[in-house]
Amino acid sequence: MDVQGAYNAANHFLLKYLGISLFKALIVVVIALLHVAYITYVERKVIGRMQQRLGPNRVGPRGLLQPIADVLKLITKEDIIPSSVDSRWVFIIAPFISLVAGATSLAVLPIWEHFVVTNVNASLLVVLAMSSLSSFGVILAGWASNSRYSFLGGLRAGAQVVSYEIAMALSLVGVMMLAGSMNLVEIVKAQIASPFKIYAIPQIIGFFVFMIAAIAETNRTPFDLPEAETELVAGYFVEYSGIRFALFYLAEYFGMVVMSMLAVVCFLGGWYGPFDIPGIPMFWFLLKLYFLIFFYIWVRATLPRYRYDQLMGLGWKVLIPLSLLNIVITGFIKILV
Amino acid sequence: MWSSLPSFVAVYPEILLVVVASIMALADRWVKLKDVFAWITIATSVIALIMVFAVEGAVFGNSYAADTYGLFFKMIFLLALIMVTLVSPGYNRMVGIHFGEYYALLMFAVTGMMLMASSKDLILLFLGLELMSLSVYVLAALLYSDLRSLEGAMKYFLLGAFSSAFLLLAITFLYGLTGTTYIDVIAKKVFYPGLADNTALLLSAALFVVAFGFKVALVPFHMWSPDAYEGAPTSVTAFMAVGPKAAGFAAMGRVFIEALYNARVDWVEYLIPLALVTMFVGAILAVVQTNIKRLLAYSSITHAGYAVLGIIAASREGMAATMLYLFLYLFMTIGAFSVVTLFRQKDFLGEEITDYQGLSKTHPWVALVMLIFLFSLVGIPPTAGFIGKFFVFKAAYEAGHHLLVIGAVLASAIAAYPYLRIVMLMYMKEPEKDLAVNVTPYVFAGLIISVVGVLILGVYPEPVINFARTCCAGLIP
Amino acid sequence: MEISLSLKYIPILITALIVFVIGLAMVIINQVLGPKRPYSEKYLAYECGLPPTGETRHRFDIKFYAIAILFAVFDVEAVFLYPWAITFDQIGFFAYIEMVVFIALLLVAYFYAWIRGGFQWD
Repeated sequence: MDVQGAYNAANHFLLKYLGISLFKALIVVVIALLHVAYITYVERKVIGRMQQRLGPNRVGPRGLLQPIADVLKLITKEDIIPSSVDSRWVFIIAPFISLVAGATSLAVLPIWEHFVVTNVNASLLVVLAMSSLSSFGVILAGWASNSRYSFLGGLRAGAQVVSYEIAMALSLVGVMMLAGSMNLVEIVKAQIASPFKIYAIPQIIGFFVFMIAAIAETNRTPFDLPEAETELVAGYFVEYSGIRFALFYLAEYFGMVVMSMLAVVCFLGGWYGPFDIPGIPMFWFLLKLYFLIFFYIWVRATLPRYRYDQLMGLGWKVLIPLSLLNIVITGFIKILV
Repeated sequence: MWSSLPSFVAVYPEILLVVVASIMALADRWVKLKDVFAWITIATSVIALIMVFAVEGAVFGNSYAADTYGLFFKMIFLLALIMVTLVSPGYNRMVGIHFGEYYALLMFAVTGMMLMASSKDLILLFLGLELMSLSVYVLAALLYSDLRSLEGAMKYFLLGAFSSAFLLLAITFLYGLTGTTYIDVIAKKVFYPGLADNTALLLSAALFVVAFGFKVALVPFHMWSPDAYEGAPTSVTAFMAVGPKAAGFAAMGRVFIEALYNARVDWVEYLIPLALVTMFVGAILAVVQTNIKRLLAYSSITHAGYAVLGIIAASREGMAATMLYLFLYLFMTIGAFSVVTLFRQKDFLGEEITDYQGLSKTHPWVALVMLIFLFSLVGIPPTAGFIGKFFVFKAAYEAGHHLLVIGAVLASAIAAYPYLRIVMLMYMKEPEKDLAVNVTPYVFAGLIISVVGVLILGVYPEPVINFARTCCAGLIP
Repeated sequence: MEISLSLKYIPILITALIVFVIGLAMVIINQVLGPKRPYSEKYLAYECGLPPTGETRHRFDIKFYAIAILFAVFDVEAVFLYPWAITFDQIGFFAYIEMVVFIALLLVAYFYAWIRGGFQWD
């Protein structure tokens, strides 16, 4: 093959690679978006049932079209940027930072061995980096709004996310030690050797810390202090309206999906299950994912909100020592075995 | 399993210091009698001093070597720690900074210095320097309700951070040239033909001069030192004047004498003008000071100028002279600052030179002790200061820097004036006010050690200079 | 043909772009469809229906700053732990002891901050 031909072939290959990646990413994002839309529906329905109510039931059969109605409503609302906002660009960009940082992790989370947008070696680092980036959107939104509630909400969110991020980052170290890799696909494969094909058993402390930290990272009840309605109205996004508000909402639910997927991949054995379901390789993954999302909703319906000092105390005085202990114990057992 | 671990015997003294310091920092809240910390610090440093003499060998992949060169400096650091700890209880209780963290920070700083003195790797040298500097920044700012202390500490911190950056840059250039940070290997590689006149090597040497110049306060990198010395608690000032300075010279010895010995033509050229300017500026500016701590700060600048003469000599004899100088300087400087701490009362600083007026009438013994230290700082013969100057001047003269030595002698003549002014005030003026003196058993013991050190080493320095000569034998090929 | 390592990260960027474009499209559609009925009260910052008073970016608790500094310390620690954890099988007992010592040193600072009230929010 001549040089020109090789060049063309490489070009062709690159274009094909990028095209496939685009296609894969589009599929993953759109499916995740649909999931997010219907998680809001499921959440309202489930919480309604848990509180002896019916939940949404007017739009469509059993209220199934409710999420679509919500989007249509938000998209036709007036877009208000308050006059007190002095840094307009920051105000406009903040929800995008939250959204992009929240959803980009989907690119590296493997749903199945052969279904991941891109299988990079440091995929766990990418997820952690993105989850810490999303707090920027929150802090910037709170600051740019130039309103008391937003400012307090942004500050609280910053301190909270930062505190629980340490616990989360440390709780995953045990998983890395067992798997010997940061590649999420490799981590799932390494779990076959473990009892029940999950790491949640040898890494029970890590799993516990991770789940709590994940709820706090996504600002969900009982750790939803940045947006505590009863004290801060809506926290950092009180000045956002219409679709800009929806972007924050989306970011939060994307974060929830990403954290659940990460928990499934790192602790619950990914796509492996007790037996194979022919034809649907991601069956177990989705089952575990749906259970974790249900767990999120369940926690929200069950537990009251923490006080701020309790929240910080839990993060710094309980979870961080526990995760450090987990690292030391995991290492010790690995040395002995 | 345990037998697979390498031996850490060489760093046992440092490990001991770090462990004890950590425990003290944590235990502070539950210990009511704060003097306990002083006792523990002294006991630990004495044990560490014994251990330093007992251990030898290299650890951490040869990046740390407990050799004789490091041994001499560690002796200086630990003696400084002991003497500063003796000063501290009385003074610190007076100014309200008598707590465990103070002693813990002192010990962390000394650990950093010990790492610097023994490091055979530039990265470890940098780490030691940072550990020392960060601890001393905090110590300098301990009186944070006093604006002077904050200002001095802030200047010290900012300029110190700059100098750390310069040091890193210098290490980077050297690493780029030689592909290693090991001092031994650099020493061999700098020998290669073609590397001797390399611009990057010149630049690296210049950056090292700047970085260490900051740490030992050579003019024109001395700007922070009068403010930091004045603002810091006097016990900390005593420590700052000796510890970080000696550590800076230890690092200079490692870098200039050991690693860059073959490029000595270059860095000696940088150091000579700095030494001259340092001696003269320090001496002249000391004349106009009215605050004794500022005066002693300028005096310590001048002394750094003398001590650097030994490095300029770039010989075994010169390095030994510098080491001897630092050892003697330890006694006279900590002694002088100890006397300054005596006059501190709750609402009275006792730092003005005029406060010393007629001291010989009210407190003859204190005046006599101060007189001994001042004479030693001037360099009058029966005291240690004379011996130190004699050896560095001799080394520089033998290395062929005749004009430099003449300049140094002239500068020390100027430098005598401010000290003698205090002597004049103490002995030839009538007292104006009655000074209260706050002598605790600790500071009494510290003063005894200093006075004995200054006088004995002034007449019989033979063992120390011989020990210094043996210690730096391994430094120069 | 094998995909080079750096090229493997491009799809992450593509995903981010897709998400960004979706968000942007929603905002633009909102601009087109949404009504525009401005009046001055509507553009006030929300403060329970009252006109907002005073400075909003006032001084806030130093605790937040302390938390930020502690975060920096612990996050750097986590970064140290990652490469150690991944190569744990190869580096063996010595590295384990080293890391335990490192964590112990960190815990000294941690308990110091705890004793001094660094995590106290009263």
